[in-house]
Amino acid sequence: MKTILAVDDSATMREMVAFVLESAGYRVIEAEDGAHGLERAAATSCDLVITDQNMPNMDGLTLVRSLRELRDYKTVPILLLTTESSDTMKAQGRAAGATGWLVKPFDPATLLEVVQKVLR
Amino acid sequence: MTQLKDGSGAAEAAQAADLLVTVATTLNERLAVTAEELARSQALLREASDELMTAFRGAADRIVAAQRDTPPDDAPRTAEYGVVLDHLYRAVQHLQSHDLVNQLIDAQKLRVDKMREKLGEALSLADPPVSDPRAAEQWIERSRAMLDCIVAGIRQIDEDGRAPRADKQRAGSVDLF
Repeated sequence: MKTILAVDDSATMREMVAFVLESAGYRVIEAEDGAHGLERAAATSCDLVITDQNMPNMDGLTLVRSLRELRDYKTVPILLLTTESSDTMKAQGRAAGATGWLVKPFDPATLLEVVQKVLR
Repeated sequence: MTQLKDGSGAAEAAQAADLLVTVATTLNERLAVTAEELARSQALLREASDELMTAFRGAADRIVAAQRDTPPDDAPRTAEYGVVLDHLYRAVQHLQSHDLVNQLIDAQKLRVDKMREKLGEALSLADPPVSDPRAAEQWIERSRAMLDCIVAGIRQIDEDGRAPRADKQRAGSVDLF
């Protein structure tokens, strides 16, 4: 079973993401901000990370950069799931090493499609 | 209204300063009402969201557990669960909107609170009154300090980068790099 780390400061959003992914057979672990997400990622072997951008303590882009510095996360797919939709922010995400950018509110079927694609 | 007897321009400066105090006070009162209405709207939305989340959670937990306990070759049940999941997926989209609106209200409340704080600071500069009411420069200096404070408040509310952006056209869009 693939393990996915969902990082978001909104408990509702984490719950939505977790439900959609668990209903498709994935194991989901959660973190409420980038700093906590980094800790959880370092402690657990994750196959995919899905993170929000605007969060207290550590934002999503910083989390992506920090994860890419870890040996185990050099190639693990990382998706940004955020309300931010500007091309500038997306370019920053790409430069930081993110695999993809999804704009909230997300469509569950699309999320699952993207997850399957990046985990292939 | 501040009364001055000399004709050195202090009277006009004092009138302008009083007008500024009146405007700042009125604006602060209006913002207090706005803050209260925002809080009330958010409380109602939260209550509704909490109820919906409780109902959603119950249904979601049961369907995930039922799926887990159903053998993969049980086609009729799997199809039935698929239908239920479709309904829940639709709910997921709308519950996200509730959450985003909540965050948006949070951001607006923060902006209003920051502006009220700055207006309060500006108004505190009007008390105690100037030491020499006949000196126009004292009134002007006080008005300038009040305006600086108000302008700082306006700048500050625009600096808050944590407000969720509402971009309906791009909502749900995907870019894979």
